[in-house]
Amino acid sequence: MRRTFLKGIAASIALTGVVGAAAPALAETAAEFYEGKNVKFIVPYKPGGGYDEYARLLGPFMEKYTGARFDIVNMPGSGGMKGANEIFNSPSDGLTVGIINGSAMVTNELAGIEGASYKVADYNFLGRVVADQRVLAVSTKSGIETYEDILNADSPVLLGATGLGGSTYVDAVVVGTVMGNNQKVIHGFNSSSDVRQALLRGDIQGMWGSWGSARKGVASGDFKIVTHSARDGDPNTPGIPSVFDYAAKADDPAKAEEILVSWDALSAVGRPVATPPGVAEDRVEFLREAFAKAMSDPEFLEKAKQAKRAVAYLDGASMADLAKASTNLTPEIQALFVAAIKGEL
Amino acid sequence: MTVIEGMTSGFFQAISLGVLPYLMTGAIFGLVIGVIPGLSGHFAMAMAVTFLYSMEPSAGIAFLLGAHSTVAQGGGLTAILFSTPGTGQNAATLLDGPPMRDNGEAGKAVGAAMASCFLGATFGAIALALLIPVLRDVVLFFGPPEIFVLAFLALTFVAILGKEDMTRSMIAALMGLMLAMIGVDNVTNTERFTMGSSDLADGLSLVPAILGLFAVAEMIELWVRGGSLAKDVPNALSGRETQKQIFQGIGTAFRKWWLVMRCSAIGTTMGLIPGLGSAPAAFVAYGHAKQTSKDKESFGKGNVEGVIGAEAANDAVEGGALASTIAFGIPGSSSMAILLSGLFILGLETGPQMLTTNVDIVFIMIFTIIIGNLIGTIVGMFLVNPLSRATSIRASFMVPVLMAIIVTGAYAADRSLFDIGIALVFGVIGYLMKVLNYSRAALLIGFVLGFAVEKNLYLALLIDGPLFFMEPIPLTLSLITIGFLTVNIFGFVRDRRKGNS
Repeated sequence: MRRTFLKGIAASIALTGVVGAAAPALAETAAEFYEGKNVKFIVPYKPGGGYDEYARLLGPFMEKYTGARFDIVNMPGSGGMKGANEIFNSPSDGLTVGIINGSAMVTNELAGIEGASYKVADYNFLGRVVADQRVLAVSTKSGIETYEDILNADSPVLLGATGLGGSTYVDAVVVGTVMGNNQKVIHGFNSSSDVRQALLRGDIQGMWGSWGSARKGVASGDFKIVTHSARDGDPNTPGIPSVFDYAAKADDPAKAEEILVSWDALSAVGRPVATPPGVAEDRVEFLREAFAKAMSDPEFLEKAKQAKRAVAYLDGASMADLAKASTNLTPEIQALFVAAIKGEL
Repeated sequence: MTVIEGMTSGFFQAISLGVLPYLMTGAIFGLVIGVIPGLSGHFAMAMAVTFLYSMEPSAGIAFLLGAHSTVAQGGGLTAILFSTPGTGQNAATLLDGPPMRDNGEAGKAVGAAMASCFLGATFGAIALALLIPVLRDVVLFFGPPEIFVLAFLALTFVAILGKEDMTRSMIAALMGLMLAMIGVDNVTNTERFTMGSSDLADGLSLVPAILGLFAVAEMIELWVRGGSLAKDVPNALSGRETQKQIFQGIGTAFRKWWLVMRCSAIGTTMGLIPGLGSAPAAFVAYGHAKQTSKDKESFGKGNVEGVIGAEAANDAVEGGALASTIAFGIPGSSSMAILLSGLFILGLETGPQMLTTNVDIVFIMIFTIIIGNLIGTIVGMFLVNPLSRATSIRASFMVPVLMAIIVTGAYAADRSLFDIGIALVFGVIGYLMKVLNYSRAALLIGFVLGFAVEKNLYLALLIDGPLFFMEPIPLTLSLITIGFLTVNIFGFVRDRRKGNS
């Protein structure tokens, strides 16, 4: 009896000790955790590109709202995949975040490209910085005035693209297949800059690309946008019908529509900021809030505007849904996309 | 704004108190980055970009471009004094710079290199200014067929560089071409020679490969040999002697103004072509200097013309490379991509509107290149003495220190440990090539141009069909190439007969 009593005392002392030690850890809020910490902000491309610029614009505002220090680390390689892998596989303490090329990472995952050691849907998303509206730009000297001109062309229209599986290529091939364009895709250009130069020279007649990359050529009168991916129209492309408007005229309108919706979802993934899977929920929540505040900070918006960088914020939860939807396709559509990415169309 | 107004306004802005201090800071920063092996203009700009957010546009441009324009100057210093290319574009300087140092002419080589850099940069900048009215047409002149033929023409310069031992040079050049094939081919999406490694999927990076071939190889040789870098010079040149030589070197560069002009023209033209970069420009200019020299035999043994040709060309590239960036906002190189995003951060638009409404900004760039290189030359002269003293430090101390810097340089560009491995592997290859007398320059030319040749050939075939070279411009360029090759093969055969008889 006495023994059990003693045991009881020992146990309760031990318990107190454990609880006592655990209490501060439980009480530490995410805000306290981040205060004064160093957070690695991975950019999967070289300094100087769009991703790098967004990260550098965003960094100071993330610091402002988290109290942590954000160190930008450029980790270029494999078309952004090296950095995306690095973010996905880093320790899940919430001290590594990064911006990823969402659309390209989704296509890589779908096509089962070797070396993709991530699952887009499993990232903890803080939210999206921007999604690129895709546009089909033609040279003003090409004689093509509308998308109908391309649909009705007698000889194949030459569309330029970067590497096989790159977004300029996938867009051209997917939309071309759905709509039955008479087109020939000239791929193998080094970068979308090189494609633009070929378009200016008249070597090719058109190219699919982001609105941001076509903007300057449109302003100077060298390019003209004939169609785009924004179903409900977009202030950037007033009065220009989207591909969805043309889908009704395709051979199988319902199927064309279905494929285009999936294709559009791909570009809607855009450029999200993410932290690895397994990060404690309160820290993810804290980072999401900080990201939301940073993205709506008037000073941030002003700086982004000054640098001519568009912003299209989406919260973390919606971003996660979008990522799931984009990787969860019907087998038929997935087969089409994989064929497009691998250059088999 | 007319061009004259823009020029005046650009000049006064560039020398104003609000801009000049930034320009000077940038130029000195670039010079120091250039001196450190492996850290390139790309790196200098990437670092400078982060400071732009709080700057005025004109000051920001002067700072950014100032840092980029002096990098090759700093790199030339390291190349001549330490046999280690400070940046990739100084690889050609290694052919005659270090031999001059060993002949006790370090000061002269540095003086000539500095002055040629300044003259080359000025040539490129003035060419850019003169081209402003027709800039758009000039940039659009080069499409895949033209670039293919030009890159091929540049490739044939291997024939001059390796004239002394044609068989070995051809082997080296072909090896370079094969190394260029490594990675995922973005035409067919197939992996070539990657052996399943995802690190090799992007191909070999240029900076660690150059560092390995030249710098690490040099370190291995120095370690094996012992002694100090300045092997044949018992005592380092005295400070006064070095100064005297520097002025001699500067004088030489100015006296050989016609050579400087021609090599600068090669540099600026190659700068205009997207994707070629400045390393091949320097080699082609070196080849040209050798080809046209009366004293071909002494090239590679310390001929000042080799240093002048290479250094004039690698700085003249800048003016050409800026052209497509300014005219269309299309960057021709990774450095220009950084410049472009720097301009965005500063709130400036490139493209046609820059040539009409913001032409003063273009002239700020032009004057930045000229003034920045002038500052680089002056500051560089003061760096020579302390640096040249270091060349007489014994190997057992020098090699570990330099190796640490080289390895850091290889890592810094992409923060990749794999790149350190590349530098070390290429170090061994480079050392073996040096010992067995294979031309590393030939390998590098093949490596750098292989990609451009293959890619543009493919595109030209897709766009214009199998007879793409029958178009007027590519045809002219092809005929020049054939003519050039014929002259060289003829000369080669004649020399060989002479040698045999």
